[in-house]
Amino acid sequence: MKVTRRALSLGGAGLAATASGVARPAIAQSEPIRVGWLAALTGPSSAPAIGFDRGVRHAVDAINAAGGVRGRKIELLVRDTQGDPTKAVNAAQEMISRARVHAIWGPTNSGESLATTPIMARAKMPDIHPCFVDSLIDPAKYPNAFRLAPSNSQIDDAVSDYGVQVMKLKRFAVIGDTTGYGTTTVASSSAAFAKRGADVVYKATVDATQPDVTPDMLRMRNAGAEAVAVWSVSPGLISRLMNTRADMGWDVPFIGHPTMGAGEVGRLIAKPENWRKTYILGFKNCSYGPDGKLPAHVQEFVDRTRGKIELNDTILWWVLCGVDAIDLIARAVQEAGSTDATAIIRYWNTVNNYPGLYASYSWSPDNHNGLPQTDLVMSEANTQRLGAYKLAPGYA
Amino acid sequence: MSEAAGQAVPAQRGGAGETLRRVLPFAAIFGAGLILPAVSNDYWTLIATRAAIYWILVSGLNLVVGFAGQLAIGWVAMLTLGAYTTSVLALGNVLPPVPVFAAFAAAALVGATFGLIVGLPALRLRTFYFAMTTLGFATIVTQVALAWQSVTGGGIGVPGPVLPEPLDTTLGFYLFCLALAAFCTWMTANVAHSRFGRSLVATRDAEVAAEASGISKPRLLGPVFLFSGAIAGIAGGLFATLQSYITPEAFTFDLSVLFFIAILIGGRGSILGPLIATVVLTWLPEFAAPLVVWSTFLYATLLLVIVLAVPGGIAALLDFKNRRPLESSRAILPRPELLPEILGRRPASGGGITLRDVVLSFGGVRAIDGLDLTIEPGQVHGLIGPNGSGKTTTLNVICGFNTPEAGGATLDGAPLRPGTPQTRAPSGIARTFQTPRLIGEASVLQNVMVGGAIRGQGTFLESLLSLPRHHADEAMLREDALLALRTVGLEPLAEVRADRLQHSELRFMEIARTLMLRPRFLLLDEPAAGLSADEIRRLGALIRAISRQGTGVLLVEHHADLIFEICDRVTVLNLGRVLAAGTPAEIRVHQEVVSAYLGA
Amino acid sequence: MFVAIMMSGLAIGAVYAMIGVTYNVMFSASRVMSFTAGQLGMLGGVLGAAFIDVLGMPAILGFVLTLAACALAGVLTEIVAVRPVLKSLEQHLYVLSTLALALMIQQFVAIQWSTEPQPFPRLLDFGGGGPGDEKFWLPILACLVTVVGLEVLYRHTLVGRAFLAIAEDNFAARALGLPERNLRMASYALAGVIGGLAGFASGQLLLAFFANGALLNFYGFVPVALGGLGNNRGAIISGLVLGVFQQAANFTFGGVFASVAVFAVFIVVLLAAPQGLFGAPAQRRV
Repeated sequence: MKVTRRALSLGGAGLAATASGVARPAIAQSEPIRVGWLAALTGPSSAPAIGFDRGVRHAVDAINAAGGVRGRKIELLVRDTQGDPTKAVNAAQEMISRARVHAIWGPTNSGESLATTPIMARAKMPDIHPCFVDSLIDPAKYPNAFRLAPSNSQIDDAVSDYGVQVMKLKRFAVIGDTTGYGTTTVASSSAAFAKRGADVVYKATVDATQPDVTPDMLRMRNAGAEAVAVWSVSPGLISRLMNTRADMGWDVPFIGHPTMGAGEVGRLIAKPENWRKTYILGFKNCSYGPDGKLPAHVQEFVDRTRGKIELNDTILWWVLCGVDAIDLIARAVQEAGSTDATAIIRYWNTVNNYPGLYASYSWSPDNHNGLPQTDLVMSEANTQRLGAYKLAPGYA
Repeated sequence: MSEAAGQAVPAQRGGAGETLRRVLPFAAIFGAGLILPAVSNDYWTLIATRAAIYWILVSGLNLVVGFAGQLAIGWVAMLTLGAYTTSVLALGNVLPPVPVFAAFAAAALVGATFGLIVGLPALRLRTFYFAMTTLGFATIVTQVALAWQSVTGGGIGVPGPVLPEPLDTTLGFYLFCLALAAFCTWMTANVAHSRFGRSLVATRDAEVAAEASGISKPRLLGPVFLFSGAIAGIAGGLFATLQSYITPEAFTFDLSVLFFIAILIGGRGSILGPLIATVVLTWLPEFAAPLVVWSTFLYATLLLVIVLAVPGGIAALLDFKNRRPLESSRAILPRPELLPEILGRRPASGGGITLRDVVLSFGGVRAIDGLDLTIEPGQVHGLIGPNGSGKTTTLNVICGFNTPEAGGATLDGAPLRPGTPQTRAPSGIARTFQTPRLIGEASVLQNVMVGGAIRGQGTFLESLLSLPRHHADEAMLREDALLALRTVGLEPLAEVRADRLQHSELRFMEIARTLMLRPRFLLLDEPAAGLSADEIRRLGALIRAISRQGTGVLLVEHHADLIFEICDRVTVLNLGRVLAAGTPAEIRVHQEVVSAYLGA
Repeated sequence: MFVAIMMSGLAIGAVYAMIGVTYNVMFSASRVMSFTAGQLGMLGGVLGAAFIDVLGMPAILGFVLTLAACALAGVLTEIVAVRPVLKSLEQHLYVLSTLALALMIQQFVAIQWSTEPQPFPRLLDFGGGGPGDEKFWLPILACLVTVVGLEVLYRHTLVGRAFLAIAEDNFAARALGLPERNLRMASYALAGVIGGLAGFASGQLLLAFFANGALLNFYGFVPVALGGLGNNRGAIISGLVLGVFQQAANFTFGGVFASVAVFAVFIVVLLAAPQGLFGAPAQRRV
């Protein structure tokens, strides 16, 4: 590290590049593995990153306590991006050029990731992220970028499959908030319902700060919706929708975004029963079966870390995904025997059915979407316990 | 005003040393910018690129906020529009893809159009109202960007444009942005040092004086909003290129706050100050991680501190020249013998200004009640009367600031349209004010040059690009202003900030400003108030000499001695009516005047 | 459906109207339009939730403390952002100082409270969620209380008349020996109370959310602009009309287009009648 810094200040960027190319193998054996973590830890929609962060720190500590990877410790470099794409671009470039990390985990929201992905691709920086937007993953354009989470089309498929095939409903209203995520997902989700032969009878975006959603709900009812697909990350809007649904005495199910199951929603709704008949996207590994247990290896992890990782105020899959991300980076260095970017990416391209905590991932040179569709399930929104949910009705 | 518009010394006249002193800080900043990539890494180059792009926008906004004083707090909207225009056109998801530089040109066009649309309400709305409309507009633009999915990609956004080789590398793009930033700095500095820059500051700090000097706000602000919008649009395109992908989330209100606050922290009417502030504010959150969270809070605190403690901003802190003490025992020594040089060059004058049956009330109180008055060329006409007798109101009726209910004013028999004060200066009517209207942060010379703004020939574009007519205008205005200052006896103070002058000096400065118009008629509103006996005597001689050059003078005064000494005719007002009119000798013995007013 | 739109429209309109009055009360005392007006409303909601929900105080105590704290915030505005710039020749410095203070308040709440909306406690548990729910009529009630209270204050108390005198003619009032500075501080405290009341009463409608400040700043200003600066009656009527118009637009167009419609009406009216629809005193320039 010191050597590169000096080369930098003495000889400028050109020399530094050669220096790192030539001199690195000599010091690589003892140098820590630097992992950049671009997290929206503060600002609006910081909840997921806070959850991921707990898993990330747990995993780093666990690996380092066990002696590191091939004798090398993991050094975590965190930068708070506040969910702002501008700050994320700055942070990504800092990780690449100044901190000279070996791999990056994040950013955690799509708006940021859309901006940082081309920059990381240019630097050939190994990157895993949990962002949903489909176009973020393109092995031809971004051979360095890998996804740990479902893509939007996977989510749309899962939710519309549940509505059409499991609930056997025909007429859907699709609404979202006026954020980038909301507007986009309303369009893609509507298309997914239509593809399955269902009618999208109402489609709109609602400003998350709108104090009263009665007009919107009335229009949905008038349009004859049998279920409402809700795409918003705003607990305020979601709770208003739920309260209004109860006030109108309209017994319509809500299906859609996991935020509908967030603890904030529970505190914002007027009555606990307003939370019923709400089914959110969930994950097989993070759902309680009929026996009230998680899958064995996940249950074992949760039991083992009880008291060490706070799960009461977060979502389990965020924490598990954070653990998996660090494990996958560590595993790549372990298997590839080096922190060389191409070696890490080469290893990731061979990952097949890797048994992570959050899901079992498979990547290949032409598929960087790691999550199998079968891992996506629906859960009951009001059943959260330690960040995990009960499976929604209809699953055997 | 300090280092930028404060020194309107054109390069060819200010001497090499002066030019160097002014250019040096800019050269240092941009020089450091050139060296930066060689001594650091891509990360710092990225931050510097960002600062350069922000500065391109801020430099244009600076003319709106810093110079014209219009509180456009939502200018991020122009960045958004520029970014989307460039990206969408270059991508070709709506129309066939256009070459990237054509897309940038389109962004400039869109930015200019919306700059004008958003800016024009400033002509009708007061400060806070205007601030709110720009804020509302910024919100709407983001919402439309979200909703208009087929064009903007909605929340998914669109990829930014990619510049052709060799501008597509980190270094190439940075140098491109740096060069553009330098170019924008140069252009705005040209405007700042032109009659347009001075007029902008005049409308900001002394709006009525600007109108009385014939400066038309719409014609002045129109090009400024166009220019500011255009370069903000280009900055938007560069921003999209830098981000490589744009979503509506990138255009936060915090960004708008950064642009706006950079100007105020830098100092209004300065260019160097906002440039430094833009660089510092862009870099500050990178300096330490906790600052990321608190950055907007920090900006706001900085703004409050600046407003309360250092209203002049960084520029005032850097303004060493105006800290030197002024000579305390200085006298104003007018040189009326120079007046022929100024007023002798006028076309021969025609008739006089005539007021007929003017009636005007304020909320039920008749301020003027059937007034007749004629100001003849070449004469000094005294207007006296107790407080509230309608003297200043009479002046305001002539100047078009007050609209009478009946009757009106004519010049050479042609009516002077009420409500159009900016048309008086072209007709050769100049005035001073009861409370001197000055641009405190500008030099005395600058203040006087404002008076001649309408005599310039060059257009805004010519000044922007520093074309020959701009230089001719500047040389002419400067020469005339120095002559006017010499005439009123203020030449030694030409380079001093106007707010450092004594009250009596400001009265003479206002007269110098009116002389820039070579007025056919000069309306003086209590010019002797606050002057010493000596100064009143010199003022009298000056006014008298002005009238002898053929200028008709209307003198509103309380100093009866001065009135009787220099006036050719005197009108006495009481409760908005003419109590008496005649020669000083007649008035002096007028029974009612003596008992009611003169008290002698 | 009509009832639902009217109730929510009037409720939200009442909040806008009260923030408009907050602007006006501050303006009348000092000729200053303060960006903190909306933030006072936001503080009313956030502090109410903090006192009652987080600290577990009885509702009535939380209410009183919220109003007291907002009054304090009003006085703070006067001391920090208004008084120092009043004497300045620069007419618009107050726009900057109050903007700075407003941003500071907003950011501080965002960081210390939460960037997500937090629940506001139910106060009376009346109305059971329908159009007659307390979340709708509490703001309307608060607005009524404000109207009646101001009427009583201005018409029947000495302090109120002094407020009016200051609003009418600052210099004359000072010449009459009125304690101008104390009256100004009292006006700002009053503005704080009205803003806080608006925020508290609309807590269940708008939730305890830091971003409400910016929202109320804009939508509270629209009634002032439409109703005429300093004209409380104009602000109340315009506020209520705006609320109903906005909810109706929400219902007819939904989402983005409702905001665009409100903004368009605002701009058009403002350009056509800069003094507002109900008139405001013209200012002498020379």
